[in-house]
Amino acid sequence: MLSRIPPQTLRILALLFVLVAVLLFFSTQVPNYLNGRLFNRISSSVAIMALIACGQTLVILTRNIDLSIGSVVGFVAFATGSLITHSPDIPPLVLAAYSILLGACFGVVNGFFVAYARVPSIIVTLGTMALFRSALVEYSDAKSITTNNLPTWLVEFPNTQLFTIGTFQFRAAFVVAILVVIAVHITLSRVRPARKLYAVGSNPEAAEMSGINSKLVIFFAFVLAGALAGLAGFMFLARFGTITVVAGLGFELKSVAAAVVGGVNIFGGSGSVIGALIGTVLIDLIDMSLVRWQLVSEFWREAVLGSLILLSVAADAVLMRRLVKWRVSREKKDAKPEVQA
Amino acid sequence: MKNIFKLTAAAALSLGTAGATLAGGHSVSLTPGEDINMVLLPKFLGILVFDQANEGAQEAHAELGNTGELLFVGPTPENSTAGQIEIMTTSATQGQGAVMLSNNAGDQIVPSAVAAQAAGTRVVTWDSPIPSGEGEDVFVAQVDFGSIGTVMADMAHSILGGSGQMAVLSATPDAANQNAWIAAMEDALKGEKYSNIELVDIVYGDDQAEVSYNRALALVDKHPNLGVIMSPTTVGIQAAAKAMQDEGMCGQVGVSGLGLPSEMVSYTMNGCAPEFALWDFRDLGYLTYYTAYGLASGQMKGEIGETFNAGRMGDFTIEEDPGRPGSSRILMGDFTVYNSENVEAASK
Repeated sequence: MLSRIPPQTLRILALLFVLVAVLLFFSTQVPNYLNGRLFNRISSSVAIMALIACGQTLVILTRNIDLSIGSVVGFVAFATGSLITHSPDIPPLVLAAYSILLGACFGVVNGFFVAYARVPSIIVTLGTMALFRSALVEYSDAKSITTNNLPTWLVEFPNTQLFTIGTFQFRAAFVVAILVVIAVHITLSRVRPARKLYAVGSNPEAAEMSGINSKLVIFFAFVLAGALAGLAGFMFLARFGTITVVAGLGFELKSVAAAVVGGVNIFGGSGSVIGALIGTVLIDLIDMSLVRWQLVSEFWREAVLGSLILLSVAADAVLMRRLVKWRVSREKKDAKPEVQA
Repeated sequence: MKNIFKLTAAAALSLGTAGATLAGGHSVSLTPGEDINMVLLPKFLGILVFDQANEGAQEAHAELGNTGELLFVGPTPENSTAGQIEIMTTSATQGQGAVMLSNNAGDQIVPSAVAAQAAGTRVVTWDSPIPSGEGEDVFVAQVDFGSIGTVMADMAHSILGGSGQMAVLSATPDAANQNAWIAAMEDALKGEKYSNIELVDIVYGDDQAEVSYNRALALVDKHPNLGVIMSPTTVGIQAAAKAMQDEGMCGQVGVSGLGLPSEMVSYTMNGCAPEFALWDFRDLGYLTYYTAYGLASGQMKGEIGETFNAGRMGDFTIEEDPGRPGSSRILMGDFTVYNSENVEAASK
């Protein structure tokens, strides 16, 4: 039975297993833990990071990394806030499109330098991380976007309850994020051109020889990551209302962590955005639970969070290796080897 | 060559004015019109309060007719610590007369600040001091760190109606100014008046909106009877207020602390953050400039007990910093408590 499940699905199952284990562990430690409120907290909090981790995953799949993604989120959040403050009559969809487009423009800059100027992505995006952030500092002129200047529809959007199941509230921001992740997942697994991301990431030479324009693929990965970061910037603005130049600071590393915990191979070529989503949830859950756990003081929380991330990645790796070994040995024993999915 | 000339000129001038000071009595009146290049170095660029401090410093710069340059330079947010050290080092190399620093690098800034002093640059801190006091001539304190504790305790007292639970949402665990204020508040809470107020938790939002927002929610989940979230940081207080507003908990949990009227006005008017406090950053920049100008021009020695006149703000005296024995400070003084009556006017 186990041997019929594709490895990607197995990985997701393993992650879900870790997630449940974490939930069970903290439910023994923290009073009033397992309830609808926890779901509402986590779901509204992951909505933004899920989009960013999703974009980061697209880039990592092609053997690259986007360290500028946090700066893009910050800039877009500010620029969108500034636009709507000055022209409050812009319709919601146009405003969201503006955010996405602006993010994509930053992606074009990254994509151009990585794909066509052939500069390693870690160098390019380290540079643009500072560049985009400096641009924000310059553009903002030390002003902040404040909630009371934003239209009501925008401020209320993230917490609008679309539907509820028991005490579980499904709020608009979370539902949008989930829909986007699912759409990206289906595209990645079912649509032929999107599979090129995996091809370029797992074996660039082979991809090139089979006629894939790997430069174009990498370029598009960055543009898409930028667009997703743009959408995340829009959500960031809606959720927090007050935007200063520190908006989105550190999101680049959090998104990489979420993707890696979610089983996305940092060397490219394998992983899924669903995994990255679960990785986001897992990190957020651990972080939030640690704050409520009396035993861990604030000063140790970061260290404990780091260790738990390491542990979950290691557990995932060991589990996967065991499974693969077990499967190979079983196949050897079997007279009729089963076809690998 | 130019620098050498300036230095000798300054030395000559300082000899002259030092004599005048001794003869002139208690309060040093600064002689305007000297040529001193100075650097105002905020924690990082792009934050409103630091720009306000710069406005104050520019005002003093014009008033004193300094023919030198006043530079407002700072690191970008993601590079704050390393950037501050770099700018401090560069300023020393350039032979700047004074660096006015809102320290965000803890004691890591010490080696570069000591080197700057050795090169003849005066180091005046404002807003946030160097914790050990090393490499620092004097700290211009916006308020007495002890009295901040009392004001925060009073705001909690008034929101709680005398009794209940409160929690603190701070910036980073190693922020020197916030830690000192929290300690002062814990001290104040020992008083008889506050005997029914219980401080149940201290958490840190890293001065980021999203972290602070989540921490505020975690606080109300962890302590179901919480009545006040006290946030001594402008980022934390507005994130906490937004979180309480989003979850419809404003009637139950009041948010207070240190905030900017322009960012807090809507939360104060709708009752989510009934009271908060802040000082005037323009005044802080103005006073810091006067101090740095006096020291760099040699008209002030920076000794404890020395009194000088800071233009429109009046006389100030250098004293020992009660929070950091062995270091000296200049106390600016009062701050304003904002509530629904005065916040709208202040937010314009």
